[in-house]
Amino acid sequence: MTSKDLTLTNVSRRFGTVTALDNFNLHVGVGELVALLGPSGCGKTTALRIIAGLESLDSGKVTVGEKDISRIPAHKRNMGMVFQAYSLFPNLTVEENVAFGLQMRKVSKHLRLKKAHELLELVGLPTHAKRFTHQLSGGQQQRVALARALAFSPEILLLDEPLSALDAQVRVNLREEIRRLQISLGTTTVFVTHDQEEAMSISDRVGVMSHGVLEQIDTPDVLYNAPATAFVANFVGVMNRIPADLANGKVSIFGKSLTASKKGSESGKIVALLRPETISVKKSSSQGNARVLTRSFQGASSAIICQTHEGTIVQSLMASFDTGDFHPGTLVDLEVSTNEVMVTNV
Amino acid sequence: MKRRIDLPLLITLTTLALFVFVPMISAFEYSIRTPVEGGYGLTNYKWAVADEDFLYYILRSGWLSALTVLVTLVILVPTVTWLHLSDSKLRPLIDGLSLLPLVIPVVAFAVGAQISLPEFVQNTVLELPFLYFILALPYAYRALDIGLNSIPLKTITEAARSTGASWSRTIISVIIPVIRGAVMGTIALTFALSLGEYTLTVLLHWDTFPTWVTFVAQENILGAIAISMMSLIIPFILLTGITLLMPDRSAQRRK
Ligand SMILES: Nc1ncnc2c1ncn2[C@@H]1O[C@H](COP(=O)(O)OP(=O)(O)OP(=O)(O)O)[C@@H](O)[C@H]1O
Ligand SMILES: [Mg+2]
Repeated sequence: MTSKDLTLTNVSRRFGTVTALDNFNLHVGVGELVALLGPSGCGKTTALRIIAGLESLDSGKVTVGEKDISRIPAHKRNMGMVFQAYSLFPNLTVEENVAFGLQMRKVSKHLRLKKAHELLELVGLPTHAKRFTHQLSGGQQQRVALARALAFSPEILLLDEPLSALDAQVRVNLREEIRRLQISLGTTTVFVTHDQEEAMSISDRVGVMSHGVLEQIDTPDVLYNAPATAFVANFVGVMNRIPADLANGKVSIFGKSLTASKKGSESGKIVALLRPETISVKKSSSQGNARVLTRSFQGASSAIICQTHEGTIVQSLMASFDTGDFHPGTLVDLEVSTNEVMVTNV
Repeated sequence: MKRRIDLPLLITLTTLALFVFVPMISAFEYSIRTPVEGGYGLTNYKWAVADEDFLYYILRSGWLSALTVLVTLVILVPTVTWLHLSDSKLRPLIDGLSLLPLVIPVVAFAVGAQISLPEFVQNTVLELPFLYFILALPYAYRALDIGLNSIPLKTITEAARSTGASWSRTIISVIIPVIRGAVMGTIALTFALSLGEYTLTVLLHWDTFPTWVTFVAQENILGAIAISMMSLIIPFILLTGITLLMPDRSAQRRK
């Protein structure tokens, strides 16, 4: 079965007084991997469960290809799903778990085991077919769950924080593997996570959610460099929030006059949003405008955390070779390298 | 390390053993007495087996109990599963209601339950499995409840559903095998309770194995005891059979 595209149109879902999804819209193209990112409780899991048919919707519709599937029960939707919690069937072997979807689709035993072994090969567990699930590590269990979700060639693959219970190293390896597999199989995929690094590193596009709506959906680059709203700007990547005054569309930061790229009010107290890599630190001969608090070495680059004399904490990201003598307490000059700045209300 | 004797456990086990084994051993001792010649022998057993009613009643009670087990599983497994999944506020209420058969007097219950049964079983012997089901409900409900509490039911169910299993397939192919222990317990409890039920059966004027044994006992008490001893073996064989049919596969290879 070939992958299809997925559309959610004006989907709403309330739980009592809580609005989990509020006229939610999303389109995922054929073979695309879209991550849904957002703070806890913003409705990511609800959106995924509605797509899977495990949760009902109050209004709106879910379309796969041309077909409205809003009223189709979960087991007829042909979607593979990997859950955050370990969800393998403990009474079945690894190969039987992977073959389960094909068994439900009445595929002969010989064919479904053959397919299961193919998938176990793909997820790097070819020798574990006869084991039971309690004999696997957490990472291995999630690989098997992934193989189980893909074995019946689903039209859509849904992943709800599949890596969040795993160790850092395993997480990074497995997310790369998921991406490789997803590209080679061309499966339309929705990946829910609250880990922005995870979302940014493996997705074609990332949708940032807040309070049941999609704030912005774009490629990781656009999301990082041109966030549509202050919420997205703050949520994605590290963002410095520097209090300043806005007058005639201009903001003065560390003595440099910058153009405010989003004009809300024409003047008054605002907060300027600046990425760490747009701020550089120079050793000052006199008092400077800030003092170094810590320097954290990260290999090629280093993060220098400073405090301005007004008390604002500012983080700068610079190539490491320039930063060796920024010891705590050093008086420095902070400078901004861009000419435009995003501002938001205090 | 020195092993300490767990006194409360020891007392519990000893008491249990006394309550279970002393009556059984005594009954067995009785059943092999030969009152005419004196001493011990198999006279009573021969007498029991010679009576063709023995086979008739044991089979009748056997299939009635098997039917009770079926009724219990078909009604209870989906219901308790649904209760667990729905997170319903009714659950504490239903927990409590399931205990009612323990406190309602059997006479009141016999009349009330009988008229609320589906018409096609009313006043046929098929009403017994349904009534036994209600009598076994407090135990069966609890066994399944505990079983379902011990597994990540929601995740496993949703995994099965999204992988393509309908509700019935989810229950038969996934949930029942996963809570195998609890299901076996339910089967054993329900079967044993139905096989030995006396009061309700007599009240409704049905003849089953227990009522027949009581009847026989008036004529030949030692024979009746021999019959009871034999009837103990039958559930044992059946349960062993079920265990072999429903093997715990993950335990087999668990090393
Ligand atoms: N079954 C439910 N009953 C009541 N409220 C619910 C239910 N499921 C979700 N909610 C509420 O809906 C909102 C969205 O929940 P959801 O699980 O979609 O969030 P999420 O973005 O996945 O969060 P997290 O990152 O913590 O997993 C939350 O406020 C949550 O409390
Ligand atoms: Mg969630």
